[in-house]
Amino acid sequence: MFSRRSLLAGATALGGASLLPTLAHAKGSVTAAIYPGTWEEAYRSIVVPALKKDSDVELELQPLFAVDQVAKVKAARGAPPFDAFVLDPGPRIMAIEAGLIEKFDGKKLMNASKLPAGFVDEWGVCVGAQVVGIAYNPKKVPAPKGWKDLFSEPWVSRLGLTGFQTTFGTVSLIEIAKVFGGSETNVEPAFVELKKVLPKIAAVGQPAAMAGLFQQGQCDVMYTNTQTVATLKGRGVDIEFVKPETGAVAFYTTLHITKGATEVANAYKYFDAAVSKGVQEALTKPPYNFIPANKDVVMPSYLPMKSLDEFNSFVLHDWAKINPLRAGWIEKFNKEMAK
Amino acid sequence: MIKPAEWQLALPLALAFASIFLAPLLMLVGVSFFNDDKISQPGLAQWAKFLGDPFSYKVIADTLLLGVKTVCATIVVGYPLALVYLDAPPRLQKVMIFVIVMPLLLSVVVRTFAWIVVLGREGVINQLLISLGIISEPLRLLQTELGLVISLTQIEMPLMLLPLISVMSRLDPNLRDASAALGASRWRTLFTVIVPLSMPGLVAGCLLVFASSTTAFISQTVIGGVRLIYLPLLIWQQSLVVFNWPFAAVVSITLLISVLTVVSALSWLGRRSGGYVHG
Repeated sequence: MFSRRSLLAGATALGGASLLPTLAHAKGSVTAAIYPGTWEEAYRSIVVPALKKDSDVELELQPLFAVDQVAKVKAARGAPPFDAFVLDPGPRIMAIEAGLIEKFDGKKLMNASKLPAGFVDEWGVCVGAQVVGIAYNPKKVPAPKGWKDLFSEPWVSRLGLTGFQTTFGTVSLIEIAKVFGGSETNVEPAFVELKKVLPKIAAVGQPAAMAGLFQQGQCDVMYTNTQTVATLKGRGVDIEFVKPETGAVAFYTTLHITKGATEVANAYKYFDAAVSKGVQEALTKPPYNFIPANKDVVMPSYLPMKSLDEFNSFVLHDWAKINPLRAGWIEKFNKEMAK
Repeated sequence: MIKPAEWQLALPLALAFASIFLAPLLMLVGVSFFNDDKISQPGLAQWAKFLGDPFSYKVIADTLLLGVKTVCATIVVGYPLALVYLDAPPRLQKVMIFVIVMPLLLSVVVRTFAWIVVLGREGVINQLLISLGIISEPLRLLQTELGLVISLTQIEMPLMLLPLISVMSRLDPNLRDASAALGASRWRTLFTVIVPLSMPGLVAGCLLVFASSTTAFISQTVIGGVRLIYLPLLIWQQSLVVFNWPFAAVVSITLLISVLTVVSALSWLGRRSGGYVHG
């Protein structure tokens, strides 16, 4: 039997143990959020050892989607759970507007000169890019030429869709709206066209489920990024990437220092390691298939461009205009698509 | 030494509940009474928006209906299984318990993705039916409510079977013999003796399955797709994508109240049936 005294002792020990993690967070470490999946695996196996070797800094990764990172830091109210964000353009602007990001000093990055102009700004540094277009299964359907094709046979009955929750979903639906007469701020035509073909569409899924649905043959055409296509291909899935005739969409992924971060100096070291030539080169290789941000790294051959300069010819979007409209689009997508 | 009163012993747990359960719940209610996503203007705008939209009622009804369908399916499959279990030899019972508990040992994500493989267009069921010549075109099972109910039935089955088996195995086996000796047929024994006596277990099972299936966000969205909209999906969208926390709070409270209403009705039924059995 426990005496009251021993119970008390036990409780004190437990209470003491809960303080331990703060002790472990000693000098020489930095905690960073990272996207779950490929990003987490790649950063764990390439960036973590590189940072440890070059600067003796321990990098602790917390797998979180962009929107989850913003939600967590918002909820933490000044005591953020991590020192660095990794974000896409939409959430990046949300985080800046909500005052969750510390101002960034590009001069502190040794590798800044290796990055194209505009990759370092007052808020953070760009570590990579995503190119979004159409993926299809060459054994099941012919190659579509562009977004319009997705709405006619044989593609429409094999089409897999996702809504406005993610960056790639949002930009794809905007591009679809554009070919039917809409614009960056008017996605109405996309809804009209979707509504017409809705009963034929093969799948409307959560963004995270799309790769699985494609792999299982539930759909044979979808919009996605080059990285997903390369990764699925690496696993033996029949999949090819098409750059739509109106152009593929590009957006950048950026690293930022969290407002109230405790390990600011180490966060700069982490960013420096992430954009260094060695790390970036390793990240472009299979099974990770990143698009590099460092100019010294050769572009992988499967990508629809030879160098980073070509990005200027890709379709880019203004997220400051998109963000305020997105909540309404998500709501409308729910209602229009609901069975 | 002064002996602590019973309520004093419960104090640590009560405090823990108050701080980690009650306080956040009160905060949730508080947040729902703000008009804007910055949580600065108090007001009823979010409630008005949710309750004034016919779409909301459709989603609430669909969510509760999904729970009812899953409960019915688990009873139809689970009750006979529990009867088989009761009559099985002890060694087989052990194997059965293992099979019944197995879904609980797997991560919900793994279970859910396994169902994609089973229900998919090129999945196990469709391939079997096509190779047997029963169908020529693959059936659409994934992303339909039927597929979702099928998979939830398997996923939630342990929650129905475990309370059912624990109540039924305490039944006196002599009762069945007595019923037979008095001339009742097997069916009559089942419906007038066994079913009423197993009621507390059945109700507990229904309660767990209902609460769990109406809130099964991962299964609902991955197997059901996003065209089947239930309250958990709305909560996720509003809190984590749109960051409209007051609206997310409104939907959360609605889910809580609607599930609690059904659950308390069920447990009232359970208490009544318990009284019926013993009284």
